[in-house]
Amino acid sequence: MFNMELTGITSYLIVSFILFLAGLLTVVSKRNIIGIFMGIELILNSAALNFAAFSRLTAHNLEGQMVSLFVIVLAAAEAAIALALLLAVYKRYHDISADNLTTLRL
Amino acid sequence: MTIGIKELVFICVALLTTVPCLIVVFSRNILYSAFALFFTFLGTSGLYFFLDAEFLGITQVVVYIGGVSVLLLFAILLTKNINEIGKTNMMSAGRMALVSVGALALLGSFGYALSGTVWFHKDDGTYPATTINGLGDLLLGKYLLPFEVVSLLLLAVLVGSLVIARRSVK
Repeated sequence: MFNMELTGITSYLIVSFILFLAGLLTVVSKRNIIGIFMGIELILNSAALNFAAFSRLTAHNLEGQMVSLFVIVLAAAEAAIALALLLAVYKRYHDISADNLTTLRL
Repeated sequence: MTIGIKELVFICVALLTTVPCLIVVFSRNILYSAFALFFTFLGTSGLYFFLDAEFLGITQVVVYIGGVSVLLLFAILLTKNINEIGKTNMMSAGRMALVSVGALALLGSFGYALSGTVWFHKDDGTYPATTINGLGDLLLGKYLLPFEVVSLLLLAVLVGSLVIARRSVK
């Protein structure tokens, strides 16, 4: 079925699919906000890996790597903001379980 | 398919990427999850090196391992009671079961798509021997506007995260 070499595009797709699935399971099932955040990082990581793999192995140019670079930068920005928000939420509620944060009022 | 030294190293790196993912998903201790995430980032960086994307690999190490992982550990240790660390990362069993069904469906469609696809190869593209020159040209040429927008975004993030997380002064 897969007549491929081991370091071909299919292997990268499988690895990044596993990363994506792990991220999806983490995002939906965790109760802790930091756990959910880890899932988001996994999903972004898998997307960046896919872009780099297609850039190298099918398109043979650098455009996909450019997108990966932007994904990494945006993930870092998102991490900084998310964790700052987390500290603010913890100061207010002394709890970071996603199920307990049900009010928007400050 | 021949298994040479390159393939062996690739398998090791792929396992280093994927196995800690399962710890991230299933561990009940959030510190274990964070350290597993660290190894996942390291493995992804190795995969970038396998793709001849050395600049991306180095960026991955600097940004994720040097930045995001450390930030994550700071957030964990600043927000959680350390004496109950063993149950800091609980899962909701109902939601887990629900999303597992969806994940299985995704897995099936992924296998189906993978088995029937012949990947298109662009013929006129030539992958350069070192990527940093080409990336620099693209960044200051074709992608100049996104580059500047991202720099503005990073400035906003810098100021915004300080404002959000500061101690309130009376």
